[in-house]
Amino acid sequence: MKSLNELTFTEARRLLKSGDVSSVDVTKACLKQIASLNGALNVFLEVYEDEALEAADRSDARRLDGKTLGPLDGLPIALKDNILYQGRRCTSGSKILESYIAPCDATVTRKLKEGGAVILGKTNMDEFAMGSSTEYSAYGATKHPRDPERVPGGSSGGSAAAVASSMCLAALGSDTGGSIRQPAAFCGVVGLKPTYGRVSRSGLVAMASSLDQIGPLTKNVEDAATLLELLQGVDSADQTTAIEEDFTAIEREDLKGVKIGLPRQAWGNGISDGVREDTEQAIKDLESLGATITEIDLPFAEESLAVYYVLMPCEVSANLSRFDGMRYGLRMQNLPLFETYAASRAHGLGTEVKRRILLGTFALSRGYYDAYYVQAKKVQTLIKRAYESAFQEIDIIVTPTAPTTAFKIGEKTNDPLEMYLEDIFTVGANVAGLPAVSLPCGNHEGLPVGLQFIGNWFREDKLLSVAGAYEKFVAMRPRI
Amino acid sequence: MSLKREDVKHLADLARLELSEDETRMAEKELDSILKYVDRLQKIDTAEVEPYAMPSKSTGWRKDEFSACDEAATELILSNFPERESGLLSVPPVFETPKK
Repeated sequence: MKSLNELTFTEARRLLKSGDVSSVDVTKACLKQIASLNGALNVFLEVYEDEALEAADRSDARRLDGKTLGPLDGLPIALKDNILYQGRRCTSGSKILESYIAPCDATVTRKLKEGGAVILGKTNMDEFAMGSSTEYSAYGATKHPRDPERVPGGSSGGSAAAVASSMCLAALGSDTGGSIRQPAAFCGVVGLKPTYGRVSRSGLVAMASSLDQIGPLTKNVEDAATLLELLQGVDSADQTTAIEEDFTAIEREDLKGVKIGLPRQAWGNGISDGVREDTEQAIKDLESLGATITEIDLPFAEESLAVYYVLMPCEVSANLSRFDGMRYGLRMQNLPLFETYAASRAHGLGTEVKRRILLGTFALSRGYYDAYYVQAKKVQTLIKRAYESAFQEIDIIVTPTAPTTAFKIGEKTNDPLEMYLEDIFTVGANVAGLPAVSLPCGNHEGLPVGLQFIGNWFREDKLLSVAGAYEKFVAMRPRI
Repeated sequence: MSLKREDVKHLADLARLELSEDETRMAEKELDSILKYVDRLQKIDTAEVEPYAMPSKSTGWRKDEFSACDEAATELILSNFPERESGLLSVPPVFETPKK
């Protein structure tokens, strides 16, 4: 028998409906798990114990009245600390926002509240979502739930670890280059980055606005679909939200007639042995479910990481210019204007953030703008075209989520490029704006391995139905 | 492309970032290795290619209309000011000779 904090949405809903269990019970179970593990793992930066229990109590009252707000009513969820929650601290993992209080709710926070979800607290993250390990948080690294000497991935490492260790039923993260999918892979949970434009980013602390997307980290595909149904939609506060048919989850049992493409560029070198073994087994599983597997060519796909490491720092340097010590955050006192800016930023921002600001400043500066920024935007067009033509032939692209399993704390902090290579399989979906999901597909030496499914633009329905069929198949397979 | 110490200092000025000598030296080395990696883009022929634009399905432009926020939000915005005088943001003097 599972503890209440280990339940999926569907399981929790069934118990709530039966009246055997209350939202307060489920919330208490999560809070208890947080209390026992957070000291060791550093997953939550803040926990709203009293408010969460009050929200759970209100949900229980609604249920008794037969006025449940929807499928998430009464279910405890965590927020990554770059998502605004009115009246609560929002640090984005940075010292410069140590005392910043969110003046309003992010659109996704409002939607969760309106859906009756119980918000448990804020999870740790790499500073301003820049990193692949959560080691770049100004509030200390989050530890991997299965091995505290290892990282949970990043930048949504706190959210992934929270779901993996059942401190909550699900969590929200943000994904600019892989920040939902890579930690989901490392921690053995499901992580979905929706199509660019599917979910509003209003109230998300911006990193690289042409790439940022909010999405769920959950225990299974069905729960990710449930959250996406709630979070999606046009928002006048985010001009990139798309006028597009709403996503509705569909289920399928097998993969007959589904064409899966394996990009030659992704399945070459650079995958660690353990990851290769499990992901290649997963391809065999997909085949036995009836899918047709073909090797495909994605020209320029291997340039995605280079494009990303030009465009993202450019946008970072512009977006983070607002942290200047003037309107909010840390301000160094009694200095002339220029020094106030420079010293406030120097004291408030971490090494990785400074590095990306400098890189972006360079790529946007006079004499280099065309060679770096504009050239990267042009190669981005070529990458998008490659995906467009691939999706004329196939339905879903499959790759490993990350080249390795969870690495040791400190293993990659000395070499920025080494850390950046963690994003090699995930950035393509951001550069092209495609939806992608990471699913657990095995374990190597006790650490989870993730498999990434990439879908066509706004086809999360197909993406999640294929991923769901695979997930069911794996769950049925006898464990060796 | 390769960056020199002076280039890094100039970038830090442009970005309004105070860097220690150590940080400048580290940045010089690290930016260099990242630039070497992204320089692979220079080899790609993009003569006939347009820069990537926003996806066509986005809602696009809207009127810039004033919308007031509630009192609670106003108070939170004001309380986030590093320094304030009643309802106003207080900043250091801005009329000084620019550094560069």
